[in-house]
Amino acid sequence: RNASCSVVQAATLWINSELEFGDLVQIKKQLISVISLCKERGLVHSVKWASELAFALDPLPKNELPPSATFTEEDAQDMDALGLAKSYFDLKEYDRAAYFLRGCRSQKAYFLYMYSRYLSGEKKKDDETVDSLGPLEKGQVRNEALRELRVELSKKHSAGELDGFTLYLYGVVLRKLDLLKEAVDVFVEATHALPLHWGAWLELCNLITNIDMLKSLSLPDCWIRDFFIAHMYTELQMIKEALQKYQSLIESGFSKSTYIVSQIAVAYHNIRDIDQALALFNELREQDPFRIENMDTFSNLLYVRSMKPELSYLAHNLVGIDKYRVETCCVIGNYYSLRSQHEKAALYFQRALKLNPRCLGAWTLMGHEYMEMKNTSAAIQAYRHAIEVNKRDYRAWYGLGQTYEILKMPFYCLYYYRKAHQLRPNDSRMLVALGESYEKLSQHVEAKKCYWRAYTVGDVERMALLKLAKLHEQLNESDDAAQCYIIYIQDIFSCGEQLEHAEVSTALRYLGQYYFKNKLYEEASLCAQRCCDYNDAREEGKALLRQISQVRDHMEASNTTPVRRVSPLDLSSFSP
Amino acid sequence: MASVHESLYFNPMMTNGVVHANVFGIKDWVTPYKISVLALLYEMTTSKPIALQERRRLNKLILPLQQGPDLTLDQFLKTVEECCPQTAYAVKLRLHEMADGELKDMEYFFATLPTPFSAIDSEAYKTSVVGLFMRHMLLAYNKLSFSQVYKLYKALQQYYHSHYSQPGDVQVGLAADDSDMDLTSTEDNVGERMEKEELDTRPEVVDRGPLSQKQAEYFLARQAYLLKNDENKALKPSALQDELNNMLKFNPDFAEAHYLSYLNSMRVQDIFISTHSLLHYFDRLILSGSEGKSNGDEGYGRSLRYAALNLAALHCRFGHYQQADLALQEAIRIAQESNDHVCLQHCLSWLYTLEQMKGSDSSVLTEDSVKMAAHFCLPYLVSLGIQSLVQQGAVQGKTAHELMDALKDTDILHWKHSLSELIDISLAQTTSIWRMYGKSTMAQQQAQLLLNMNSLEQVNFGVQQNNTEAFAVALCHLAELHAEQGLYGAVSEVLKHLKEQFPPHTQHAKLWMLCDLKIQFDRAMNDGKYHLAEPHVTAIAALNKTEGLYRKAQVLKALNRTTEAYSILQRLQLYCEKTKYTEMIIRVMLVTAELHWESSGFATALPLLLQALALARQHHLQALASETILHLAFTQLMLGVPEQALGVLHEAMEPILAHGAVMDKGRALLLAARCQMAMAGTRSNGQRHAALGLAVQSLGEAAAYFSMLDCKERLRDVHYLQARLHHTLGQTPQRNKCAMLFRLLDQELQAPGAAVPLL
Repeated sequence: RNASCSVVQAATLWINSELEFGDLVQIKKQLISVISLCKERGLVHSVKWASELAFALDPLPKNELPPSATFTEEDAQDMDALGLAKSYFDLKEYDRAAYFLRGCRSQKAYFLYMYSRYLSGEKKKDDETVDSLGPLEKGQVRNEALRELRVELSKKHSAGELDGFTLYLYGVVLRKLDLLKEAVDVFVEATHALPLHWGAWLELCNLITNIDMLKSLSLPDCWIRDFFIAHMYTELQMIKEALQKYQSLIESGFSKSTYIVSQIAVAYHNIRDIDQALALFNELREQDPFRIENMDTFSNLLYVRSMKPELSYLAHNLVGIDKYRVETCCVIGNYYSLRSQHEKAALYFQRALKLNPRCLGAWTLMGHEYMEMKNTSAAIQAYRHAIEVNKRDYRAWYGLGQTYEILKMPFYCLYYYRKAHQLRPNDSRMLVALGESYEKLSQHVEAKKCYWRAYTVGDVERMALLKLAKLHEQLNESDDAAQCYIIYIQDIFSCGEQLEHAEVSTALRYLGQYYFKNKLYEEASLCAQRCCDYNDAREEGKALLRQISQVRDHMEASNTTPVRRVSPLDLSSFSP
Repeated sequence: MASVHESLYFNPMMTNGVVHANVFGIKDWVTPYKISVLALLYEMTTSKPIALQERRRLNKLILPLQQGPDLTLDQFLKTVEECCPQTAYAVKLRLHEMADGELKDMEYFFATLPTPFSAIDSEAYKTSVVGLFMRHMLLAYNKLSFSQVYKLYKALQQYYHSHYSQPGDVQVGLAADDSDMDLTSTEDNVGERMEKEELDTRPEVVDRGPLSQKQAEYFLARQAYLLKNDENKALKPSALQDELNNMLKFNPDFAEAHYLSYLNSMRVQDIFISTHSLLHYFDRLILSGSEGKSNGDEGYGRSLRYAALNLAALHCRFGHYQQADLALQEAIRIAQESNDHVCLQHCLSWLYTLEQMKGSDSSVLTEDSVKMAAHFCLPYLVSLGIQSLVQQGAVQGKTAHELMDALKDTDILHWKHSLSELIDISLAQTTSIWRMYGKSTMAQQQAQLLLNMNSLEQVNFGVQQNNTEAFAVALCHLAELHAEQGLYGAVSEVLKHLKEQFPPHTQHAKLWMLCDLKIQFDRAMNDGKYHLAEPHVTAIAALNKTEGLYRKAQVLKALNRTTEAYSILQRLQLYCEKTKYTEMIIRVMLVTAELHWESSGFATALPLLLQALALARQHHLQALASETILHLAFTQLMLGVPEQALGVLHEAMEPILAHGAVMDKGRALLLAARCQMAMAGTRSNGQRHAALGLAVQSLGEAAAYFSMLDCKERLRDVHYLQARLHHTLGQTPQRNKCAMLFRLLDQELQAPGAAVPLL
């Protein structure tokens, strides 16, 4: 908690001192120039990002357009070779491109030369993976070009001859060689040399594992850093801070950016604020109807809310755009899952995994599908794969726990639930699951602790208190049980929503009996009356009322004062 | 952006979302190293006659070469050269032909390999080990696609040339391909070499390539065997973990590696990793066993049960009894639901083990377990149960012939099913029982039998004596037995061996630690160096609380702190009576009796000693019974009935002289002499002389025993008595000699304050 506080402070500090977006025109100019630079070098994803952002800003008048970059003597010399190589590069003939660039002197040509060699190595590696000698060798297939590239680049690096783009490439090479520490340094250097290149920031983002590491880096003073920090907060699950950051970015003029909208939507999804997230995604689809990115997250939300028609529409729409995308497959998988066609759903998740085996969400979702199909062993396999891709995937751990719970192994699943709980200490679902397991093992003390903790961290499903109350009831701890039921009822009424599995009637029934036993007839009759509002408890409520009136008649004869032990339930302010 | 950089990790083995590592049955594939082995085999089968001795050495080499991990060409040629330089040269030549030639040379090589199907009379016939290997290789080679063949050839060239480029400069004639090397590319090479060196100095770079499935299986089997039987020969825990991590990096689906990782982390008592690995292993196992049946005998339901059982075992090992109990209950429940009696039996045997570890009586459970296991024909569990029963029976005072009968019956069972592990345990148990009954010779014989027995394991990796618990127990007994006889040189030898065989961090190290401390303590006490004995007490208490308390009482008694000693003894006796630790009860009674002596309460000591004697006899504890008789005799002597004392003493003399420790022998003889002296006082003159002569003789023997142990205080007493006797008998020279010896010792032992042992 302390850590997050200081983070918030730090964040506000940044906002106050450095977030100056007054000159949107200047930003737009910078974006336009970086777009052309990246385009010349074939860095398509950075071009896309910058262009999206530039599109969100107002267009510049003609005389304000930035002049095209100045030519040096070397550039002029290399122009023809560069043009030829670029065309080969665009056609994915990387070796050919590299061959024609080998003698060029200009920075631009040098970057393209190295980049072609790198991509050529990557491409060959991918081809070879399919064609390796044996199953055990697949981990050994390497990009053979990496070492050479590293040697050349490190020489130039120590001589200080690298510009922002080549630094970025050097960093990528280092990361691929698993030299992560060096890679971080080089990427930081790259951001200093060319702050506007989003690719370098993104690579840096993948290498930062915690907030302390983020704070220890010295990053360039530029408006783009706020985008980076916001992205980083989302990655590190510091959603509140991330939302604050994005909000301030919107306020300073980027309100039209689809990128920011999508990021905020994903952030809301992560903290399970479903309504907000849904609204934002709908807005996003209006602005950018052919967008495929993040649509899997959108479909998750639709799935949680069981919005069948919307999900169906989304799935059909995406298939129309591009059916061989991971996101599309995930959306279709979710669609089939919602329609309870789990075999088909699993098939589509498999397809998504064939397109990108490191797609974490698909592994977990596939595990869920296999669970639905009662194919526990395949489910375990899928969850294990998800954990292999990312050890910190709490959903997979939770899923494994559930699987073993279904196999009636409550002690065995404890380990998995504990793992999940470690990763999400404030998620009530894991705590409730832990509590249930302990209850099954007759470890009542632990179970009670878990339920109570689940309630205190904010119970999303509102089941913890009910379970706690029932446990107390079982153990004949009637005072505690009554307390829990009281809080439960207050909780249910105050949240206002109608919950499907709410068991208010059970609580009222118990409380009625409890008050009756403790001779608090006023309260008992109130509860009994309330019981009559529910179908399943009506008869009992009436019976209790009759009993109360009998006893009262009896009592008027012999006047005794009741013993008060529990504060009476105040139901007057709530209406069911 | 990310999608460009991420490698396309496509797994062709994946069907239906489940990765089958071996869908094509590929267990092995051709590598340059394998080609070298093939070349060696080829040379051996086809070439000119090799000297018989060299051929034998080569033959012995074949299996390790086939099963071991890939070696570099350097290592490979060196190994072969050691056996037969001529063949090594031929192999090198053949490899050179291929590597320096063209692709067709390699193709030709595979074409000319003797086909195991045709060559019926050669060693490479299809069912032989060599033939099988060749068939595997040929099959794997024939399956290779066009580009893979070329890749293999390239790899072979690199493999061959790395052998030459290692020492110093690049030899132009042999190095690299024949393409023209322009200036830039040489520069690259130099840079690369420098780079390579720089990279290779980093410790995390593992120089060994991935193992093929066969090699990995062999590696795992061997390491697991060694872990079980002879931990010292296995890789060091950290090195083994590195290997395993490496293996799992290349093939995450290799579940057995997780299990070995579990075993390995158990060695270093790492509960975190061991739990993690165990669960991971079973998660994987559940997949592999899931074909067809969902919950039957063979399906993954089975591995679920054993998963829970193994988890229970893990918690048991770490002493988490409550957790273990829960896990065990779960295993039992699942096994019951699916009617798996075999698993239930395993659960039951763990249940009584757990009860035993918790310290409660579990003999009823054990008996049930034995009966049921016999019904389901599980010899291992049956005899394990019987052994457990024997152990409990021995402590609770079952008669000796019952125990021995039971052990004999299980032995028949062991030999029938050749359960070598249980034979070891049985022998160790017999040793312990004999020792408990005070038959040192028998115990020694059984211990030697175990230590000299050849291992019955079929697959024996040159292991004769392994480091299981049984061996540790037998060796500890041996050390103690030698210590009793005063052979401290032999003791330290045995302990040294134990230390080597069971390093302090291992599971069974506590056994010898306790044994070592006990021996040292006893020695210090016998020598009267109580200040040396005192620090041992804390160490002993750390290993065994009861033993520690007992020893503490002994030290306190020796230091004349009677009240403290008495209160400790009282506590100890209550505790031992609760846990039915008979041996300790008797010993405590003896020490209490000695305390009574200190305050001259000989009459009060008497009932206590009689009680102790009854207990010892009831439990057939001969050594303790003899010791009690010694105490009894001494008490009677002090009460003034030497005739009675001598009569009682005679009863114990025989067993003590036959089986007892040297110390006991000396004490018995000394006591006998004192009795004889006391009796002589009442006799007539002639008889008196004869009796005193007898006493002198006894004292002489006692002195011999005491000097063996270098037990000076008692020796001093003996010399004093001897001098007095000689004086009475009028043998002046002998008297003077003894008196001198006494004086020398007395001067040496000028340590007042400490109690002199009465007995």
